[in-house]
Amino acid sequence: MPIIEINHKKVHIQELNKGAEQTVVLIHGMFSNLSIYYFNIAPVLAKKFHVVMYDLKSHGMSERFTDGYDLENMSSDVLALMDVLEIEKAHLVGYSFGGLISLKTALKAPHRIEQLVVIEAPDPQDEKARNIIDEYSKEFLEHYVANFTDTTKVQMGKRQMEKNHRMYEFLFNQTSIKADMIKEKHFLSEVDFSEFKLSTMLMYGEDSNCRPTGEWLNDQIGRSELKLIQGDHNIPIQEPVLIAETIAHFLSKSLKIVSQNHG
Amino acid sequence: MDTLNTTEKLNHEELFTLLKGFITEVIGEEFAEEMDITPESSFTKDLEMDSIEIVSFSEKIKAHFGDQIDFTGWLSSMDLDELINLDLRMIINYIYECQ
Repeated sequence: MPIIEINHKKVHIQELNKGAEQTVVLIHGMFSNLSIYYFNIAPVLAKKFHVVMYDLKSHGMSERFTDGYDLENMSSDVLALMDVLEIEKAHLVGYSFGGLISLKTALKAPHRIEQLVVIEAPDPQDEKARNIIDEYSKEFLEHYVANFTDTTKVQMGKRQMEKNHRMYEFLFNQTSIKADMIKEKHFLSEVDFSEFKLSTMLMYGEDSNCRPTGEWLNDQIGRSELKLIQGDHNIPIQEPVLIAETIAHFLSKSLKIVSQNHG
Repeated sequence: MDTLNTTEKLNHEELFTLLKGFITEVIGEEFAEEMDITPESSFTKDLEMDSIEIVSFSEKIKAHFGDQIDFTGWLSSMDLDELINLDLRMIINYIYECQ
């Protein structure tokens, strides 16, 4: 498995179509991993772009860390990843908490970002996610999995249940993740979007609890468009091909601009 | 060890042994021994492999067979139901045809 070192952490990455002119960095959400993009979304984007996927710290096959889950640290990891891979400028695509990381990165270093795609980023002020951490127990995971499988159809057996339980227990009980999430409570309301000039596509599920955040962001960001996709918060699993093609179409606009400028 | 092997076409039994080895590396010997891995074993239901483990398995196939097999491309052509029902025999047949 390709492992690189970013900010003194071992990070699992996957790359496709390395020779392409423009790069897309894909950022997954909390408690997930890069596989959300690997099978369906990344191969479609790789027809035109160099695609980089990575596992966030303590997720997937990346090294476990006890701290640094705030958006400042997580966005530093994105920029450091680009430095290590010698990528001057890239498109960013982020899903769920990864959407907030991509937004933070774009606010911090707009000169390094071509265009931005934010999928189902939640409002961190929503306390539901933090309550999950407070109330976490193995019984909670079993209940969560039973409900989660309604929309994703993926069954979780005993070994997976244990594996996930170990990950949640580590993240919730041994890391600063909860304190870091509380720190970001006012992230969206404190951003000055008047200075935000990047071309941005927002993708939200029609039936998602996060949809109001997408609509709010669409009002705040000057150069944004909101695409509503049939489904809920799990749209990358429910409609991967549509998501991939919509992103490819959106990002390809800049390919046209680049080729016009070149010739 | 992941090695590029393009010299000889493997038969179904050899492919099964190879892939079983990859699965053992991915899920760990302890779990692999507990499970009776057969060509009929489905990835998600029987072997309980999650998607990041299937990524790892895919990478091993890529590393072993190189460009002659577009395993990820083949997987990406499947919908969720097909992926859930994917078993070892389907992969063996696919690789056998591609060699």
